Order: sequence, then structure tokens, then C-alpha cells
Amino acid sequence: MRWIVKRAIHAALTIYLSMTITFFLIRAMPGNPIEMLLVEYRLRGVPEELAKAEIAALYNINLDEPWWSQYLRYLWSLLHGDMGKTMISGSSVAECVMYGLPWTVFLVSLSLIISFVIGVTLGMLAAYRRGGIFDRIASTAASISQAFPNYIMAMLLLYYLAIQYKLFPARGSYDINIKPGFTIEFISSVLYHAFLPMMAYVITSFGGWMLAMRSSTIRVLGEDYVVAAEARGLKSRRIATTYVGRNAILPLFASFAIALGYIFGGSTLIETWFAYTGVGMVMGLALQYRDYPLIQGCFLIITVAVVVSNFIADIVYSKLDPRIRIGE
Amino acid sequence: MSARWVKSTIASYLRSLYTALRIIKSDKAALTGFLIIVGYILVAFIGPFFIELDLSPTPERLCPPSWKHPLGTDPFGRDILAQLVHGAREMLIVGFLAGAITVAIGAAIGMLSGYVGGKLDMVLMSITDIVLTIPGFPLLMVIAAFLIGSGVKELAPPIAAVLLSITAWAGLARAIRSQVLAIKEEPFIEAAKTLGLSKFHIIFGEILPNLMPYIAMNFMLSSVGAIYAYVGIMALGLVAYKPGNWGVMLHMAMSYVGTVTGVGSWCVLAPAMAIVLLQIGLVLFSNGVDKLFNPRLREE
Amino acid sequence: MAEPLIATESVTKVFSVRTSVFGARRQIKAVDSVSLEIGENEILALVGESGCGKSTLGRLMLALLKPTSGKVLYMGEDVWSLKGEKFKEFRRNAQIVPQDPYSTLNPMKKVVSALTPPLLHYKIARSRREARKMAGELLEMVGLSPPEDFLERYPCRLSGGQLQRIAIARAISVRPKFIVADEAVSMLDASLRIEILDLLLDLQRKFKTAYLFITHDFGIARYFAREGRIAVMYLGSIVEVGRTEEVIQNPLHPYTKALITAVPIPDPKLARERGLPPLKSLEVPSLTKVPPGCKFHTRCPYAEKICEEKPPELREVKGRLVACHLL
Repeated sequence: MRWIVKRAIHAALTIYLSMTITFFLIRAMPGNPIEMLLVEYRLRGVPEELAKAEIAALYNINLDEPWWSQYLRYLWSLLHGDMGKTMISGSSVAECVMYGLPWTVFLVSLSLIISFVIGVTLGMLAAYRRGGIFDRIASTAASISQAFPNYIMAMLLLYYLAIQYKLFPARGSYDINIKPGFTIEFISSVLYHAFLPMMAYVITSFGGWMLAMRSSTIRVLGEDYVVAAEARGLKSRRIATTYVGRNAILPLFASFAIALGYIFGGSTLIETWFAYTGVGMVMGLALQYRDYPLIQGCFLIITVAVVVSNFIADIVYSKLDPRIRIGE
Repeated sequence: MSARWVKSTIASYLRSLYTALRIIKSDKAALTGFLIIVGYILVAFIGPFFIELDLSPTPERLCPPSWKHPLGTDPFGRDILAQLVHGAREMLIVGFLAGAITVAIGAAIGMLSGYVGGKLDMVLMSITDIVLTIPGFPLLMVIAAFLIGSGVKELAPPIAAVLLSITAWAGLARAIRSQVLAIKEEPFIEAAKTLGLSKFHIIFGEILPNLMPYIAMNFMLSSVGAIYAYVGIMALGLVAYKPGNWGVMLHMAMSYVGTVTGVGSWCVLAPAMAIVLLQIGLVLFSNGVDKLFNPRLREE
Repeated sequence: MAEPLIATESVTKVFSVRTSVFGARRQIKAVDSVSLEIGENEILALVGESGCGKSTLGRLMLALLKPTSGKVLYMGEDVWSLKGEKFKEFRRNAQIVPQDPYSTLNPMKKVVSALTPPLLHYKIARSRREARKMAGELLEMVGLSPPEDFLERYPCRLSGGQLQRIAIARAISVRPKFIVADEAVSMLDASLRIEILDLLLDLQRKFKTAYLFITHDFGIARYFAREGRIAVMYLGSIVEVGRTEEVIQNPLHPYTKALITAVPIPDPKLARERGLPPLKSLEVPSLTKVPPGCKFHTRCPYAEKICEEKPPELREVKGRLVACHLL
């Protein structure tokens, strides 16, 4: 119990730190957007009062208040889910961000699961055939594919498979002619559009899981309880899945956190190029137009998503491996 | 400083170099990686003397590879190969510098935390855990956007390198701390303590040599991460224009060419492959670099 | 009489351990109220079965472990209250030759780098070059010749005997007044042991170092400490202390008697005649469940009622110190 509380506090602190960072960037950094806006309004001849009202609407920052009050008000509105308004259209930042979030979560989760499954399976196979041709080829392929930046893989897939050879759609998260709903039509359209971006993630990240699973399995295969199981005459297949597999997979959960961070990181570029309507694409547009409230909103949501997923992963991991709980 | 002393020091460095090369040669994958990296370094620092970079637009837009333009021309008619060659230097400097800074900070914090322990350890690790969870690349994008919005036109390589390391050091710090905790209990550390050697010597003179294989490997991998982030930021198009920067080339390729069929595929391929090949070289070399420090291999 | 070099006053060390992952924490008294003295240039052998607390006592004397209670004195002063220069002087003068030669040297550093740091730290050598030269001389002193063959080597390339010699060289490099040899020859091949023991004796005579020589082997203790004293330890307490030859020819404490009769005799006929050691039971009690009263009473063939109730004190008997009610 105490351990969960500790992790929860960590998560909360991380999110708090991110909010503070964005406040600093928006308000306190030299040459920050709010100052620039003020200057711009002054140049345009907009009266002071109006300018401040605009800024308050955009950022939830009331310039008439002392510093610490601005900070607190900012945090307060964030906690209420109000992230200000976008500069381009005036619509709520929270709305824009929330529209994209489910798409990104869908894409990221699916990619992570597929990449994990492929990697873990290949890893175990490679460990059992250690030193053989399969192992050497697979390990080299894993190393090399890991070196590929995921956005470059996305670029190549997009260019060759979608544009040159028109095998897959090049834009969008679903065919806009189809009405959204739980129909087979819609779902298959979504999957069809998600395929290439997903491949970009999967191809560049399965290698990590494979190599980790391989070394973990090799270590477990050397343990006494495996030899004992074989001596008891258990079938190889049963040993592999029940004993070896379960124990070898456990340490991999610890790197879930890093994997998540990495995937969310690349999402901006990949979604922008594929015009896939996720948080990444929203962020890309925001960056392009220098829409600071929107930029900050996207960053915060991404951070919250990563922190929450880490937290869930930690809890799942602790349920699976009792040593973690006792060790604390 | 007698001449004989200078000669013997140079001789010992040459001997170490020879040993290092011999060890690398034995591992095919690491050797490939090493050669790739050396190749890039040569191109980056010597190439510009052989190839001129002319940034003025010409009418020969998006030409396919030819004798005059071995890798073709970009949407403005400029030679792609020249841009790649001239951009290599900045890429390598920023990448390696960022890798070095990341590793330096991560190792320092990890060693301090692991050896000193107690309250310092608790505080440092709490900070590290938090930094570890903040998504690095999104944060970089935000910082870059804000910096550029506030008028910063160019980022000097050292500053860029420091920014790239802002969150990257955390993972390494944790890993190094675990290793230090284990090494601390070794008998040779107790021996050093009994001899009365200073804490400074124990951390940097006894523990550090045992961490070197891991640190060297992580230096390579951190450079990979830094290049990933650096190119990524540029590819977003945040920076208006930087001559020959590979990330900017990618951005231009995707903006002008990426959505049109049949034309200018080398615009997309050339910078992409240049980046990927460099990353592959670094990863391959990183797998074997720890061998360089293995005492069993260092002697015949 | 001058102050003894190293002394312990009722020093006790308690460890708190968990016997299993879910079990309760138990206290282990590894060293139980031990008072010993070692004078300058004196050899004291510390003998006992494995796990009786000898190594712990050695490390307490070197201030590598802090006593739970009691004092460790260097030249009459409490080691743990020494500060600054005085502590630095103590550190320099109290060195160790540990048991495992394979792990006592840093595997990632060459032999020369293992020997030069203390020389430079204590300014025994004034430059790297001088330190290197001195390292070579040290190697020659311990029988590794020519030194150039060894200075640039890594520990992985050297044999156990060579590594132990280097460990000894490292210990004497700072010219300590006191050395703890903790089972220094136990991990070496039998054929090497005499050589290393002779080397240690040689160096002891040359530099007049005081030694705490820890071992579980009576034969080795007798060889090394033949001109000095021997202390016998059981489950954390000292049971007998006296001049080596006297103790061996005429052991007073029942435990000492049993240990001496257990020393293997090469001649099978004599061995058979000697028979089994006079013990009630061969089981050594665990340190987590120490017998009350005299710790030895569960195995002592002469045990009487008082032995189960009161722990005996270390008293002077016939020119020695013995802890037994029956003397």
C-alpha cells in the first residue's frame, strides 16, 4: 500500500513539475509569448485593458495580479481542465487536445502491444536457438532496426507504400466519407489508415523487446528450477510457456515506461506526415503556427498520458512480481 | 619534461591505440560500426574541402542523380550531396557533444548517489525519477518553439547539445547507481578503504574504471538519441532555414516532395539514408565498445 | 609497561539478520565482549572454527566495522574518536592481507595502478615515476621478479599465489605497524602456503610489524606464531590466550584440547591411536541460538551444573588467560 502511495506522489509531482515548466516558459522566460503578445498589441494600438483581457482568455493568466497569484490561478485552471483558448481559432485548447487524444492512445497502444508480442516471441525463439543462424540474423536485424529513427521509417513507408505505390492511404485517421460509429466499415477504415503509422512504430521498436527477451530467457534457462522441471519430465512446451516464459518476461515490464515515453515522443512527426488526427498532429500544427496555449496544452496532455501509463504499468508489474512489493 | 618522457608517453598512447584497434577488429559487427563512424568523421571534416556548397537556387530543380549532381538536386535546384557533406560536421558535433554531456551528468549523479547514499541518494533519485518520466522529445519541441518564438535565430552547437541532454541523463543515472551499489561491496573497495585512500580516489580511481564499459556504450547510445532528437526538431520545420542541416533537408523533402508521386525520391532518400546509416554505425559500434575495456582482451 | 599497539576493551559486535525472506530479524553476536591486546612487533594468532567471529574481530580492530559496544584502542586512544591527522596516521598503520587474492585487486586496473595510489597518497613517493620505481621494489621484496614482468599486467592474468604476493606488497607499501592477515593462505594451494608464510615472517622480522594472524588451521597458526601468542575463539568469545608453544603442548581449556587433537597427523598409526576428539557432540551451535552459561557446555565432556548457568570469565591460570569454571 505504502508503495502505491509513493508512486502516486511521484506521478503527481511529475505532472506538477511539467505544469510549472510550461508556466515558466509562457510567462517568466525572457522573450516569452505573453510579453511578445503585449508588445504586439501595443504596436497595433490595442488598448491595455483589451490586451490583458485577451491574454487572460488565451492563457488563464491575469496580468494585473502579482506573480505568485498568476501562477496559482494558472495551476488552478489547469486542474479544472481549462487550458485556455487557441490563438488561431479561439476554441478551447482542452477541446482540441481531447479530440486528438483517443486517436493517439489507440495508435500507441496497438503499436506497443503488437511490437511487444512480436519482439517477445522472436526473443524467446532466438534464445532457444541460441548461436544458430536464426539467432544471429534475428539479433542483427533487431539491432539495426532499433537504430532507425521511427519518424524516418514513417517517412519511407509513407513515401513508398502510400504515395508511390498507393497501397495504403496517405492521409487521415479514417475515410471521411464513412460515418463514425461501431460499424465494420468504419472500424476497418480506421485500421486501414492506422496501419502504416503503426508499422513505423512496430518495425523500429520490436528489436528492443526481442533483444531484452532473448537475454532474459537465456538467463532463466540457466536457472535451477528450469533444470528441475526438465528432470521431473515436464513437457518442453509446458516448461517453455509456464516456467521460462513467465519468468523471463517479468523484467521487461520495467522498461515499459521508457518505451511509452519514446513512442509518444515520435508521435508528433509521424502523425503530422500521415495527417493522422492525434495529439501529435495537433501539436505539430500548434508548433507551426506558434499557437502557444495549444502547444502547452498538448505537452501537458502528453505528459499526463505518459505518467498515468507508467503508473498503471507499475501497478500491473507489482501484481505480477511479488518480489517488488516485499522488497520495498 | 624531458624528450624521453614525451616519447615514452606517446609510445604508450600508441600502444593503447593499437590494442584498441586489435580488439575492435575481432568483432565483425563492431568493426563495421567503427568504420562507418570513421567514414562519417572523415567526410564531415575533410569533405567540405573537396565539395563546394552553393546555396543559390538554380533552374535544375529536382534533377535525378547525374555526374554533375551525384545525389540529384533539391526543390530549389541545389546539389544534395554538397548539402549532406557540409551538414555532417554540425550533426556529428552536436550529437557527440550531447552524448558526452548526457553521460557526464548521468554518471556523476549516479556515482555520487550510489557511493554516498543516505539523504543525498534519496533526494537525487527522487529528482531523477521525476525527470525520467517527463517525455523528453515533446519537452524539447516545446522549448525549441518557445526559444525560436522569442527571437533566437540560431542555436550554437554547445547550447543545442546541452538542451538535448536535459532529460536524457536520468536513465543512465539510475543504471549507474545500481552498478555502483554493487561495486561498493567488492573486496577491492574495502582494500582501498583500509589503505586510507580518499573518497575522491575511490570513486574516480577505483569504481569508475569498472563502470567504463557501460559508460562507453551509453555514450554511443546517448549520441544516437541526441541525433534522433536533433533531426526530429529540425524536421518539424521549426527552424526556418539552416544550410545543409539534415533535419531541415528532411522537412523540405516532405513539404515539397513527400506528397507528390514519381518525383524527387532521392530528395527524401538521401538525407534519410545518411541519418540511418550513421545511427546504425553508432549502434553496431556500441555493442562492441565495452570489449575495449575488458582486461582479458587487452592483453594478448 | 608501554601502551599496547592495538587493544580491544570488551568489544562487542551484533549483527541483525533475517534468516528467511519472511522470517523475523534475529540478533547475532559475532563478537562477544572481547578484550585483547597486541603489542608492537608482536604476533598474535587467532584460531577458531569457521564462523566463530575471527574475521569480524579482525575488522573491528582495523575500524572497518564499528563496535556495537566496547572500545578499540590504538596506542591507548579510542580509534573512533580520532580525527583528521591522527586518524590518517591510524589508517596508515593498520593494514589487511585478505583471504581471497582473486577479488582483492581491482580487475580493471593494472598491478602498477594497484600499488602506486597509497604511495602517492601518503607522499611516500613524490612523483608518479618515483612511485612506479618503488612499486617495482615492492614486487621484488615479495618475490615477484623481474618487476617489469608484472607491473603492466592485469589481475586476470596472474595466479593466486602471485596475486596474494601483490596484496602483501600493497599492505606493506605504507610501512604499517600492524597487519591483520585474515586467512591469508587458506585459498592458496597447499604447496604455496609455506612459501607465503615464510615471506610474511620474513617481512615481519624485517619491518617489526605486529600481526593479528587469523586462521582456522592450528598447524598454520603454530608455524607462523611460534614465537608469539595464540588466542582461541569460540562462538564469539575468547576461551584461551597464551604463548603458542605452551598452549599447544599443554592446552588448558577443553575446547583447545579438542582442537589440538583434531589436527591431522600424517602418520596413520599414530592418528588411529589418538582416536576421536574428546567432545560430547560434534554439532556446533548456531550463532542465532547461543547456549546459555558457558557457550561450550553443550559439547564439553567435563561440563558441570555451573557451566550451564554462568558464563566463565577470562582469568589468569598458570601464566595464561583461560575462560573455564573448572580451573
